[in-house]
Amino acid sequence: MVDLTIPISEETVRELQVGDTITISGYIICGRDAVLPKVLKMIEDGTVDNMGLELYGQAIFHTAVSPAGVGPTSSNKPEIENSIEPLSAAGIKLHLGKGKLHRETIEALEKYNAVYAVIPPVTALLGKKTEEQRVIAFPELGMEALHLIKIDKYPAIIGAAHGRCIYE
Amino acid sequence: MSKNYEQIAALVRDTLVDAGSTFRQDKKDAYEKAIKKEKNEKARWVLKTILENAEAAEEAHSPLCDDTGIPHLVLEVGQDCAVTGKMLDAVRAGVAEGLRKLPGRPMGIMGGESQRIDQSGGLNPDSAGVEPAPILLRRCEENVIRLHILMFGGGPAIRAKTGRIFHKHDTQTVLDEIVEWAKDGVARLGCSPCTLAIGVGRSHFEATSMMLQAQVDGRFGVQSEMEKEITRRVNEADIGPLGLHGNTSVIATFMKIGPQRASGVRIVCVRPACCFEPRIASVEFTV
Repeated sequence: MVDLTIPISEETVRELQVGDTITISGYIICGRDAVLPKVLKMIEDGTVDNMGLELYGQAIFHTAVSPAGVGPTSSNKPEIENSIEPLSAAGIKLHLGKGKLHRETIEALEKYNAVYAVIPPVTALLGKKTEEQRVIAFPELGMEALHLIKIDKYPAIIGAAHGRCIYE
Repeated sequence: MSKNYEQIAALVRDTLVDAGSTFRQDKKDAYEKAIKKEKNEKARWVLKTILENAEAAEEAHSPLCDDTGIPHLVLEVGQDCAVTGKMLDAVRAGVAEGLRKLPGRPMGIMGGESQRIDQSGGLNPDSAGVEPAPILLRRCEENVIRLHILMFGGGPAIRAKTGRIFHKHDTQTVLDEIVEWAKDGVARLGCSPCTLAIGVGRSHFEATSMMLQAQVDGRFGVQSEMEKEITRRVNEADIGPLGLHGNTSVIATFMKIGPQRASGVRIVCVRPACCFEPRIASVEFTV
């Protein structure tokens, strides 16, 4: 078991291997289909710093945040999977979700020394490990807004790292 | 508003919360059995975590999954029982109350027809803004009115398939195609192990209706030979829980075969119900 605290360093990411069981603690970003393309637009426009958020070393969890809790949506939905390369280029080190990724995405993760972790959809357990939550951008999207949450030891398994993938 | 209306609404409310937060005992038993049989360490870890999550959700009466699902209702009517419009209003009120109590994810889409397709009308912030699917009505032997509430998540809906299969006068031809559809759907789902819900009918509507009823009538400890064969063959594909490999891609198969027509074709619906589904609870109304 590897215990990760966000933000994580380049060296920590280099040591992670496909199949490693990990826990994740600290503040992480949450976003999915509706908001991730908007974040990419902010990166393109050079306005992403206006959110007051440092992306380097961060983790992004592909989830909505609602009164029902959090839980991974499929990371291979087009708008989500297409965000993985540009967000990794912007400094995101850990993409957290579920489902098999395409080969090009796995190679993009390797290029930017980022990894993908699979998290079980265990909303009731994750609720016990979620300490804070707040909207950081696009509040009009409701549960699909960009959120920041504070978590304590979310369980996950490294699904893609250094050009390898657990699904293959 | 009569007292009866309020009583029905309260029963439906609590039943919906049970559906969204509870594993039935036969499902818990099926998971325990799968954990003992599973040889892949990571797969076993996922199965244990899912069962722990079910225990935590049941204790807190909180959602099993953050995609709390779309309510699907099956209403069974006994011989001397009458269903009134007011009763259906009470059921609908109970569903709304249940969604607020669970709480359901506020994912109802607002706006006109085009806005509901492209999601440009925004989300209803009220959990009760998620409207239930049309009610399915059927007869039952007992002299009661019985309501089954099933909560359908989005992932299985994306990977489900309804279409025609030419049977070539051989049941095995249909089973082979079902297994192929199921393997594809389970591999793409991400939230396995699945319970495969399968309906076979004469039209898309009937096949889908059979798929829904299969989840109402299915029991994890009672499997037909065809159900066992489908489960075994999909499990041989080594997809595993969350797609992380292992021999527990499917916990069970619930299959309902309706009346068929004289034709070379069968209409089949295969839904790879996720690790939490069928999310179902039932209640009887006194008549």
